[in-house]
Amino acid sequence: MTRGNTELGEVTHHNIKQLKKLNQVVFPVSYNDKFYKDVLEVGELAKLAYFNDIVVGAVCCRIDVSENQRRLYIMTLGVLAPYRRYGIGTVMLEHVLKICEQDGNFDNVYLHVQVNNDSAIKFYENFGFEIVERKQNYYKRIEPADAFVLQKTFKK
Amino acid sequence: MPTNQPLPPKENTLFKRILKCYEQKQYKNGLKFAKQILTNPKYADHGETLAMKGLTLNCMGRKEEAYDYVRKGLRNDLMSHVCWHVYGLLQRSDRKYDEAIKCYRNALKWDKDNIQILRDLSLLQIQMRDLEGYRDTRYQLLVLRPGQRASWIGYAMSYHLLKDFDMALKILEEFRKTQTVKPFDYEISELLLYQNMVMREAGMEEEASNHLNTHDAEIVDRLSIQEVKASLLMKAGKMEAAAKIYRELIDRNPENCAYYSGYEEASDPASPEERLKLYQDVLAKLPRASAPKKLPLGFLTGEAFRKRADVFLRNGLHKGVPPLFTSLRPVYKDPEKVKIIEELVLGYEQSLQETEYFSPEDVGNAEQESASVLLWTHYFLAQHYDFLNQTEKALAYINKPIESTPTLVELYVLKGKIYKHAGDIHSAVENLDEAQALDTADRFVNSKCAKYMLRANMVKEGEEMCSKFTREGVAAVENLNEMQCMWFQTECAAAYRRLGKWGEALKKCWEIDRHFTEIIEDQFDFHTYCMRKMTLRAYVGLLRLEDRLRSHRFYFNAAKTAIEIYVHLCDHPVTENEEDEQANTENLTPSELKKLRNKQRKAQKKAALEKQRQKEEQQKREAQKAKAQDPDQDGPKEEDLIPEKLARPEDPLEQAIRFLKPLQMLSSDRIETHVLAYQIYSRKGKLLLMLQCIKRGCAVDRNNPQFHECLMDFLEKVKSQGDLASPVSSVLKQSMEVIYQGKDTRAWNNEYLEKNSDSLPHVLTAAKVMYKLEPKSQDKAVVLATNLDLNGVTIQNCTEVLESLRRGDLGQCEAEALEYEGKCHERFKYATAFMGQGGRNHVHEHIGQSTECNHDHPIES
Repeated sequence: MTRGNTELGEVTHHNIKQLKKLNQVVFPVSYNDKFYKDVLEVGELAKLAYFNDIVVGAVCCRIDVSENQRRLYIMTLGVLAPYRRYGIGTVMLEHVLKICEQDGNFDNVYLHVQVNNDSAIKFYENFGFEIVERKQNYYKRIEPADAFVLQKTFKK
Repeated sequence: MPTNQPLPPKENTLFKRILKCYEQKQYKNGLKFAKQILTNPKYADHGETLAMKGLTLNCMGRKEEAYDYVRKGLRNDLMSHVCWHVYGLLQRSDRKYDEAIKCYRNALKWDKDNIQILRDLSLLQIQMRDLEGYRDTRYQLLVLRPGQRASWIGYAMSYHLLKDFDMALKILEEFRKTQTVKPFDYEISELLLYQNMVMREAGMEEEASNHLNTHDAEIVDRLSIQEVKASLLMKAGKMEAAAKIYRELIDRNPENCAYYSGYEEASDPASPEERLKLYQDVLAKLPRASAPKKLPLGFLTGEAFRKRADVFLRNGLHKGVPPLFTSLRPVYKDPEKVKIIEELVLGYEQSLQETEYFSPEDVGNAEQESASVLLWTHYFLAQHYDFLNQTEKALAYINKPIESTPTLVELYVLKGKIYKHAGDIHSAVENLDEAQALDTADRFVNSKCAKYMLRANMVKEGEEMCSKFTREGVAAVENLNEMQCMWFQTECAAAYRRLGKWGEALKKCWEIDRHFTEIIEDQFDFHTYCMRKMTLRAYVGLLRLEDRLRSHRFYFNAAKTAIEIYVHLCDHPVTENEEDEQANTENLTPSELKKLRNKQRKAQKKAALEKQRQKEEQQKREAQKAKAQDPDQDGPKEEDLIPEKLARPEDPLEQAIRFLKPLQMLSSDRIETHVLAYQIYSRKGKLLLMLQCIKRGCAVDRNNPQFHECLMDFLEKVKSQGDLASPVSSVLKQSMEVIYQGKDTRAWNNEYLEKNSDSLPHVLTAAKVMYKLEPKSQDKAVVLATNLDLNGVTIQNCTEVLESLRRGDLGQCEAEALEYEGKCHERFKYATAFMGQGGRNHVHEHIGQSTECNHDHPIES
């Protein structure tokens, strides 16, 4: 799948609107202003994916400390429909996993996915994620409203 | 010293200190020493001291006192070269160069060998292009300082500029002989190339050629020498040798199109195939070069074109080259090629959608294309149909990628452009605004957006848009003026003019005019610098550029706008109390009017606040400036441009003539120049000057619609003149006979109409003239002008027809105007100009929205 060139780039206040546009099209949920404000502060944890110099994907994470665990939460990771199956999601996920590895202090990395999103579930499972929980009525305005929690635990 | 007021030793020492302080910019100390001399009653009237005191004061910004002291000093000691020199410097600092030259000359009368004064004089002479004076001064400098390089060069150059090539070459050669060449000596190399340039200008091509061969090893600018050699060989008919050099130049820079045309001319291919082969040979060696792929598309036709275009298009789309269409624009002149391109790209589109290959035959034989290739294919098709004015299709094609890839800035830019071409500037602004929001670090898109805003008369929004890239702490308009950002000012002027804000519009035009003055002033630095650095070819090029500077289209456009406004102000003066702006209130309903008034009130308040703020800023800045100013460099303080005053000129036509003069000097090849000139002089009633415009116009483009109106008007005016002074009438009689051949206006107009019956702008003019000559013919004139089955039926031309109808150029015809508008609306669906009341409301709505839209806080969805 090397039909083009994929690169990751920074999210800045200059191009944040591209991230918004992308998320609007890719995800059924919309994100609030705070989401985008925070994204500007997280550095490597938020990235735009350029395919042949066009922004076609993005990943946004945050660090989540709860229940005595230090976890990385993938808030969004998505690619515009025409550009799927080019390995762009893989590049972004590998970037995230590399951050975890380099940091070395994360217990796990996790995310939510709509229960009917088979392709996404399969995608994450390929990278060693496992379904660890089903959250009832996680989503407010979309059907099905339930979400799986997918998690990859790091051995220490 | 020829002064009649010699100072005793003690005072003389003090005086020398004043000079030193002046040179070292210790102005306060200088004044102190001056005071020490002047407080001595015996020397209170000492001319040179008074003059120096004045010069020092000038440097401290105290201009009036400066003039007083310098003049007083001079009166007291008319035989002092110091006093005259100082007076010259003072005038020079106020850019009164002619006066300054006189002063220097007087100074030289008393001290004819003063190097400093001679140098200052020579600078002014070259600046003012007093070439003979310059030559004489350079001669004196050479005699006085024969050991200096600049003395020789300057003297030679003065002959070159006077076109006395022999003399120039003799001096250059004498000088060259005295130079010893160091390895890689750039200055000698430049000198030789300059010498060669003079030879070529003298028509001494053979000598020039020999000269290059003799000095080949000393010339380090290999590019220039090759270029010159190639053109010399070509002129001498040595084609084979020329071709060889052009080929070398292409290898050096395969993207320079001029080399290819030289290469072709020298190789003289017998057939298109041979011609193509030239390019393919280059490509074989330089496969990545783009010019040899593109240029053959210009001359190939039929199948050969299809084959090459196919390769070129696929390559561009595969790589995702946004300006692919732009590089093909030149071949769009040929409808056959347009058709071929359309077929090709539509074929790609279909195949890519079905198979992800450019063509079905490629399946399995080539690399599969990615989704971005389809995107660029759609992008190209949108541009293609936009070029063909097929707005619907263009929009359909640009909407596809926007839907699938809403993150790409270029798509919105193109969509905006399509709307602009379709006559809907407000939708264009919306799209450009979207584009710039997606990447606020892109200044190109930012500027484009601002430009569109100005096209939509949204001046304030345009300024705010630009302010994202201008220096902080300064109002954007001021910074843009300082940066001589002329596109912005031109667009502003046009917007203000459309809004009826004549003063504001004129202010922008004058600002542009001042930039050109400034650029001419900027030459000063180069007169000494280039001589020192030996960049003589570039220097002569600069002098020639400056001589024609105001032929630049930026100046032309600003001058045209200004002249047209002044002519308008001559016909419709703005009264004392009348507001500058003429809000178009007639067509509004009461509630709309109320809204508008409210808006205006708010705007006024805001403007007042803004003004206050700007004033404070200005004061702050001026205070700073006064501190940091270097008065030697800065010219005299320019008069402030106040819109209210500019809108009420005492003599608008005289102001217009100030803009006209450079056009007549430098742009006499453009018909608009003579039309504008006629509009001015006809209002002044100057028959002979009008005749001059008519004569010149006839020589440029007699068939031009605007000019035809002048031609007809002049004939009528002359006919209606009573008795004239005999010399005038005899000149007129003679010329009229030549120009009009005894035919009357009606005959001319009919002939004109017949000759141009298929072109809308021409027909419109003829119809106007027809109605003017015979109001009875109104019906016929209106039918002629509103015909939409002509060449040149564009949005702009139709808008002009509509305006003519509304204005009454064809008499009262409101119903006809309305009907015409409807017809145009059918033809140009998107153009807001033909949307009548509804359309104009639509426009108001847009302007209202965008006023409230604050770009710093985009509305969240």
